[in-house]
Amino acid sequence: MSYFNVEKKVDEIKLTLNESSDFAYRFFDRNNQKIAFVYLKSIIDNTLLSESIYSPFQLFEGKFSIENIQNKIIKCADVKVIDEDQAIDELLDGKVILFTNFSSKVIAVDILSFPERVPSEPPTSPVLQGPREGFVEDIQTNVTLIRRRLKTPNLVMKTLKIGEESNTKVIVSYLKNIANKKIVERVLKNLSKIKTDGIIDSYYVLSFLEEHPDSMFKQIGNAEKPDIVVSKMLEGKVAILVDNSPIVLTVPFVIIEDMQNSNDYYTNHHYSSFIRLIRLLGLFVAVIAPGFYLSLQIFHYNILPLNFLITIADTTQGLPFTPFLEILFIFLLFQILYEVSLRLPSYLGLATSVVGALILGDTGVKAGLISPPGVIIVALSKIALYTIPEQASQITLLQIIFLVIGGSLGLAGIVGGMVYFINYMNTLDSYETPYLAPYSPRIEKDLKDGLLTSSVTEMNERPESFSPKIKERNHD
Amino acid sequence: MTKYISARQAGIIAFLCILANKFLLLPSYMFKDNKSDSIFVMILLFALDFAMLPILLKLKKEFPEEKLFDILSKKITKPVTILFYMIFGVYFLFKTLIIVDVVYVYLKQQVYQEDFLAIAIMSIIPVVSHAAVKGIKTISRTAEFFLLLVIIGFVTCLGFSLFTTLNMPVLFTTPAKVFFSSIYKYTFSFGDFLVLYLIIDKIKIKKGEEKKLYKFSLSAMVLILSLFVLYYAKYEVTSFMHNDALSDILVFSVRFNAIGRLDIISMLTIMFIALFEVEIFCFAFCDCVENVFPLLSKPFIVAIFDISSLLCYFILIQKYERIVSLFSSWLSYVGIFINYVFPIICLTIALIAYFSRKKYEKLVDGGEK
Repeated sequence: MSYFNVEKKVDEIKLTLNESSDFAYRFFDRNNQKIAFVYLKSIIDNTLLSESIYSPFQLFEGKFSIENIQNKIIKCADVKVIDEDQAIDELLDGKVILFTNFSSKVIAVDILSFPERVPSEPPTSPVLQGPREGFVEDIQTNVTLIRRRLKTPNLVMKTLKIGEESNTKVIVSYLKNIANKKIVERVLKNLSKIKTDGIIDSYYVLSFLEEHPDSMFKQIGNAEKPDIVVSKMLEGKVAILVDNSPIVLTVPFVIIEDMQNSNDYYTNHHYSSFIRLIRLLGLFVAVIAPGFYLSLQIFHYNILPLNFLITIADTTQGLPFTPFLEILFIFLLFQILYEVSLRLPSYLGLATSVVGALILGDTGVKAGLISPPGVIIVALSKIALYTIPEQASQITLLQIIFLVIGGSLGLAGIVGGMVYFINYMNTLDSYETPYLAPYSPRIEKDLKDGLLTSSVTEMNERPESFSPKIKERNHD
Repeated sequence: MTKYISARQAGIIAFLCILANKFLLLPSYMFKDNKSDSIFVMILLFALDFAMLPILLKLKKEFPEEKLFDILSKKITKPVTILFYMIFGVYFLFKTLIIVDVVYVYLKQQVYQEDFLAIAIMSIIPVVSHAAVKGIKTISRTAEFFLLLVIIGFVTCLGFSLFTTLNMPVLFTTPAKVFFSSIYKYTFSFGDFLVLYLIIDKIKIKKGEEKKLYKFSLSAMVLILSLFVLYYAKYEVTSFMHNDALSDILVFSVRFNAIGRLDIISMLTIMFIALFEVEIFCFAFCDCVENVFPLLSKPFIVAIFDISSLLCYFILIQKYERIVSLFSSWLSYVGIFINYVFPIICLTIALIAYFSRKKYEKLVDGGEK
């Protein structure tokens, strides 16, 4: 019988982990059979270690062997025999590693435990009716939330480790009978190409998944709620879960997705259609309103209705700024206030908003620095922006672009800008899917869940845009 | 994704091409010669134009995957094909200039109220160049995206024009000679299906989808004819004085619930249609140059288009009257070639191919028996 030096192995691991303060070990010795328990005390359940692993060893009276330890002694569900070179990775994954002096094999017992958040309603996706559960930072909990809604053997969960230093667990999930194989392969290929030191959040992965990384437009979907992700997977999309992130990514992405909201599916479809049209109007107002107003004020005052023109003329008379600078000033003021209210604690944020919006705005108007129509237009566009909060960052950039275009080129520039951006978005096909589907190109069947939505009973087919393997939802 | 455009998208391109250069100046300009009988001239010219469509479909059927350049090169030799493509290039360049000029004058008078050449150049050239570089798939998709907006805008203008005093135009007053000479004179404003001939290899027409092409083309023709009728009914003998038909038919209309300036609808519609049209023609011009000079890169060809259109504008046109006289004189020869000579050649090629195929099939069938 050959003997292995367990003390030496423990020392080697200790050195590898740079004598980390949460590194812990314990020896058990009986009849020349020596066992070392090695673990990181910060990420394991100490009670479980004592009750289900260490105590059974003390109570066991027979001869220790790898089989005995794995099958009879340890009272945990996830016990596996691994090679010695895997020990460090498993240790870092929250497992207790058992070295013995009678076998070269190593045992890993999963008792990972760390403080975790209970699934709760995410602040970004509240619903009036419908499920309120949201994803949390723990990937295992997120997998459970998906699995609970998809009790099918077709649900695939492929695990990858990304990040040289962070070794972050990334799970690619899809329904193998629905999701397009080409899309799944492309996602896995793009993920496998990631070379980085650490993945802190799903947004790190997102940048690597984008097929047009230089574009300012969002190309990957995201969701914080399992019901949304599951409904997307049922359409044929692929979900990407990243450990330590409550945001789950989905591909392919089409822009209409952000016009849809989980509320839409839990209310009457006529009302949902109306709300989606309001969102479209909101998007339009948010992007165009400041630039359009500016173009009317600078170039095309003749096409303004007379009463409106008189109001504008009255209120803008004597302003020290040009119309362009005035709108830009108000725009930047709003943006600064937004940033401040986002960063400050809520009680201070509220105070800043009051000071900024009421006092600065009101005083600015009274002092004759800015005009009331200007404030109204910018405020309107900033409020309208949040009809589609998922697109807020892109819309803000577009607002500035159209502000400059409207102020320098007028209506012709705005029309040109609109055509340019739609042209550009039409070049953003990713993962075999047209970005502006189902409107450009028009995909008749997908219009049932477009701006004007149909009842769920009529949505018998999956969206063609995502090229699902099985098109019918009620297939055998 | 597929490199093809659908029959619907091809139909939309035809729809926009038919609308583009007929909804502003043409009604008043034609009125000078033909009075209200311009409506019949339009019907006749549309009928002749429309004949290009079945020829296109026949050609597509006989040569489903081949480029027009390759088809022509094989059948009428490469040098002749190059000559044809050069004529096409001239046609698209001048057609672009006419649209830009007519819309520019309209915008100058109605929207900007002063010269805004630099603004127009900055608003049009980057958009058009980008679209032409990206190709017909991008252009057709964008046109598809805005189609509803364009149709609503156009129909709204026509609809609102009904709420005013309209008198049926007096017809059959033009002498036959003037009437028929108009076909020659205004022919350059037609031939709108040529773009589809150029992209024949990029159109994917599934079985039964041909009717989409007919549907869109006919819709555009009906819209233009409605515009002509309403415009002449509204302005009667003074029709020649109002150069911006689509915009002018809204003037004096009843404003419901004191809706203010309705002309913003026509302004936006005109700008969208014109921009798409210029995008399509720029692409078509680039396609012609690309086939004649295959070694040139796409961005370089687009730059050629930009520079040559600017040069032509400043050297040849610049004055509104000059462009108007140009399209009804010298350019009519080009129009005759595009509208009548070229389709006949295509029809001949398609028929020869059809009969050769039939003959071959007969031989094969006979051999098998």
